[in-house]
Amino acid sequence: MSRLGVLLRHRVRRDRLQLIIWILGIGLLALFSTSSIQDTFGDSASRATVLRLAVANPSILLLRGTPDGAGLNAFVFFEIFTFLALLAGLMNTFLAVRHTRAEEEFGRAELVGSTPAARTSPTVATVVYGVLVNLVLGLVVALGFTVGTKDAAGSFVVGLATAGAGIAFLGVGLLSAQFMRTSRGANGLAAAVVTAAYVFRGIGDALGTPWSDRLHVTPAWWSWLSPIGWGQRTQAYGANTLLPLLLDGALAAASIAIVFVLQAHRDSGASLLPGRAGRATARRTLSGSLGLAWRLQWPTIVGWCVGGALFGLLAGVLSKAISEAVGVDAALQRTVANLLPGGHGTLAQIFISAIFVMVGVIAAACAIQVVMRMRQEEVTGTAELILATPVSRLRWLLDYFAVGVVAIVLVLASGAVASGFSSVATGESAARIGDSFEAAAAQLPAALVYLAVLALVFGILPAWTIGLGWAFLGIGTFFGVFGGLIGLPEWVRNISPFTHSPVPIGTSTDWSGGVWMLGIAIVAGILASVAVRRRELGTA
Amino acid sequence: MNSLIDAKPAHDASAVIDTRGLEKRFGRVRALDGLDLSVSAGEVHGFLGPNGAGKSTTIRVLLGLARASGGSATVFGRNPWDDAVELHKRIAYVPGDVNLWPNLSGGEAIDLISRLRGGADDKSAYAKRKARLIEVFQFDPSKRGRAYSKGNRQKVALIAAFASPAELFILDEPTSGLDPLMEAVFNREIRRASADGATVLLSSHILSEVEQLCDRVSIIRAGRTVDSGTLAELRHLTRTEISFAQDTLTDADLARIPGSHDLSLAGGRIRFTVDSHQVAAVLPALAELDVQGLTVAPPSLEDLFLRHYGDKLDDAVAGEAEARTPRRRAARAAAQQR
Ligand SMILES: Nc1ncnc2c1ncn2[C@@H]1O[C@H](COP(=O)(O)OP(=O)(O)OP(=O)(O)O)[C@@H](O)[C@H]1O
Ligand SMILES: [Mg+2]
Repeated sequence: MSRLGVLLRHRVRRDRLQLIIWILGIGLLALFSTSSIQDTFGDSASRATVLRLAVANPSILLLRGTPDGAGLNAFVFFEIFTFLALLAGLMNTFLAVRHTRAEEEFGRAELVGSTPAARTSPTVATVVYGVLVNLVLGLVVALGFTVGTKDAAGSFVVGLATAGAGIAFLGVGLLSAQFMRTSRGANGLAAAVVTAAYVFRGIGDALGTPWSDRLHVTPAWWSWLSPIGWGQRTQAYGANTLLPLLLDGALAAASIAIVFVLQAHRDSGASLLPGRAGRATARRTLSGSLGLAWRLQWPTIVGWCVGGALFGLLAGVLSKAISEAVGVDAALQRTVANLLPGGHGTLAQIFISAIFVMVGVIAAACAIQVVMRMRQEEVTGTAELILATPVSRLRWLLDYFAVGVVAIVLVLASGAVASGFSSVATGESAARIGDSFEAAAAQLPAALVYLAVLALVFGILPAWTIGLGWAFLGIGTFFGVFGGLIGLPEWVRNISPFTHSPVPIGTSTDWSGGVWMLGIAIVAGILASVAVRRRELGTA
Repeated sequence: MNSLIDAKPAHDASAVIDTRGLEKRFGRVRALDGLDLSVSAGEVHGFLGPNGAGKSTTIRVLLGLARASGGSATVFGRNPWDDAVELHKRIAYVPGDVNLWPNLSGGEAIDLISRLRGGADDKSAYAKRKARLIEVFQFDPSKRGRAYSKGNRQKVALIAAFASPAELFILDEPTSGLDPLMEAVFNREIRRASADGATVLLSSHILSEVEQLCDRVSIIRAGRTVDSGTLAELRHLTRTEISFAQDTLTDADLARIPGSHDLSLAGGRIRFTVDSHQVAAVLPALAELDVQGLTVAPPSLEDLFLRHYGDKLDDAVAGEAEARTPRRRAARAAAQQR
C-alpha cells in the first residue's frame, strides 16, 4: 500500500494543475451550456421545432446525438453529452500515456523500475489513479448539471456516463501505450480511437430510426460500437438506466487485463510494434531544415488527411440522402440558418458546408501540431543541432510555417476531393465537386489563424505552446461549431475563428471574414518571426 | 553589446574566442558571473570546471543559442548572437547531451547536419571522410535514433562534427559515454583537426584527456574563471611533493631545508611539499643532508583540479595562502566572495 501510495501521490503532484483545468473546464462547460440552452430554448415548442429539424437533418444528429423527447433536461443531454464524453476520452488517453509510455520513453520508468516497486506497479498506480480521477470528474459533472437542471438523479446518471466513458478510454490509452514506442505515437493512436468512437456513434445516430413523434431517435447499431454511444443510451433525465455503463467497465477491464499480460512479456521501453532499421544515408530531400520539418511531420499530416477525407466522404455520401429526406420548407430553412453556419442554399449545400467546418477543425489541428513539433524539437535538444549550423532561427521558423501551410492545404484538399467525388458517385450533379472545393477553401483562413497565432505563442511563451494550442482548438471548435446549436450568445461564438469562416453557398457569399482572418494570420506570422528571432533557444 | 558594462580593454584581435566579464542570468540564478576566456587561433583549449560551473552555458552563448546578459563575447571577432549564421559556417559543435530524432537513422542525421553545414557540397570528399569516420568509430549508421546507446548517440554528433572541415570546434564533454577505445579514436581525430589548423574548445571532466590534448586550459567555477594558462604554468603554481628515508636525520637537520611545507613522518619516510618553482632551491640542502631513497613527485593534475573544484579542499589549503602567488589568492578570494 505504501509504495502504491507513493506512486499515487507522485501522479497527483505532477498532474494537479493540468487535471484541475481539465475537470473544472468540463464541469463549467456542463454548467454553462445548460444555462445557455435553457435561455435560448426555454419553451417546449421551440425545442420541439429544433428536434424535428434535427431528426430530419442527420448532420445535426451526427454532431450532437440522438434526441430523447422535448423535455428541457433531456434536450440538454442531447445537445451536450457527446462533446463532454469526447473531452473526457481525450483527458483519459493523455493521462494514461503520460504516466506509462512517456515515462518509459524518457527513461524515468527505469528509475522506478529499479526500486523495490514491482515492474507493473506504475501501471497499477495509473489505473487506480485514473479511476479516481474519473470518479471526481463524474462528480463534478453531476454537480454542474444538478445546479443547472435541478434534477439530481438524472444529473448523476450524466456524471456516471461521463466517468464511464472516461474509464473505458483510460483502458484504450493504456493499451495503445503498450503498442507504440513513443508517447507521441501512443497519444496519436489513442486520440484516433477516441475520435473514431465519436464518429461511429455519429454515423449510428445519423442513420438512426426516428419515432413517429419525430422527437426521439433510436440509433443504428454503429452507435453500440462506441463508449460515447453507450453513455447516450443511459437516456439520462428520461429512462435513467445505468445498464449500458457496464459495457464501459467491461471494455476497461478487458483492455487493462491485456495490458498486464503484455507488460509481463516485454522489456521496459520496448513496444509491440517494433522500430524498423533505417537508411544508412539520407535521401537528397533531407538536406535542410525544411526537409527535416517535412520528414518529421508527414506521417502526422497523412493521418489528419485521412481524417479530412473521412469527413469529406461523409458529406458526399450523406448529402444526397438528406436532400431527398427533407422537402423545401421555408420555416425549417430559417431555423437551420440559426443553428448551422450557412443560412441559405439547398440542404445538401448546407450539409456539405457544415461538415467542412469540421474539416477546417481537422486542418487547424494538423497545423498546430506542426508548431508543437517545433517546441518538441526545442525541448528535446534536436533543434540545437540544427540551429548550431548556418540555419537562422527565422529560417527555421519559416520552414515550419511552410510545412504548416502545405499541411492545411492537403487536409482541406483531401476533404474536398473525397466529398466532391463521392457525391458525384452517388448520382449528384458535378457541381458538387466545385461546391466541395469552395467549402474547403473557405476554411483555409481559420486554419491559417491557428498556425500563425500558435507560432506567436511559441515565440513569446514557448512553454505554453502545447497546452494553449489544444486549448485554443477546443474552445474554437466548441464555440464556433456547437455554439449555435446550444444557443451561445453571439459574442461568445465570435471568439472562435470558425465562426468567421465564409459560408460559400449560393451566389452572395460574404468572404470578408476570411479576408480579415487572412490579415490576422499574416500579422501574427510576422510578429511570431520577430519574436522567434529575438528569443534564445530554450532547453528542457 | 552593452558598452556600459564592457568597460574593459578592446578585444584581442588574434583570439578566436574572447569573452570579457561575460554574464548570464537565468532569473535569479547567475550562471555566468564575469567569465573571461581567451582562446587563440590554432590552440586546443581545455575548458574545465565542476558540475554547474557554467561551461555549457558559456558554450551556448558562444554559439548564439543563448544571449549574454552582460559583458562581451566575440568569436572570430564577431558577436555570436548577431552573426550566428555567418559564424556557424566556420564552427562544428558537439552538444553535451546528444539527442537524436527518433525516426531518423544515425546516418541520416549525420548527412543532414553535414549538408546544413555545407560540408557535404563536395560529395566525394565528404563521402570519403564520412566513411573513414564511421569505420574508425565503429558506428552502425542504419539504426534509428531511439535505438542508439548513449555512446552511439555521441558518435553521431562527433562524426557529423569531424566529417566537414571547420575552423573552430566547440565540444561540450564530447567523450561522455565513449568507451576507452573510442576515446583514443577521438583523441586522434582532435589531433588531426588541430594539425589542419583548427582551433578547439574542449569542455571536459576527464583529466587525462585534457592532459593529452590541450595546449592551454581555463578552469571556471561558479561562473567565473579561476585559473587559466598552459598545464606547465598551472603545475608550476602548485606544490611538488618530496620524500626520502628518515635514517638518522634529526628535526634540526630538517629545519635546514628551505621553503618546506606540511612536513610529516610516516612509515619511516619524511614527506614535505615545496612550491614547484622552488624545487631547484631545495635540492642542494637535500644533497648536503645526503638523503637516501629520494623521490620528487610533480603535482598531479588531480591535485590541481581538486583544489579548484572542492570547497573542502579549498578551505584546507586556504590556511597556507601566504605561499600562493597574488594572482591565485585574488582568484580564490573572488570565488569565495560569491
Ligand atoms: N535554462 C536555465 N535556467 C535556469 N538555470 C540554468 C539554465 N541553464 C543553466 N542553468 C544553471 O546555470 C548553471 C550553469 O550550468 P551549466 O549547464 O552551464 O553547467 P556546466 O558547467 O555545463 O555543468 P556540467 O559539468 O554538469 O555539464 C547551473 O547552476 C544551472 O543550474
Ligand atoms: Mg554541461
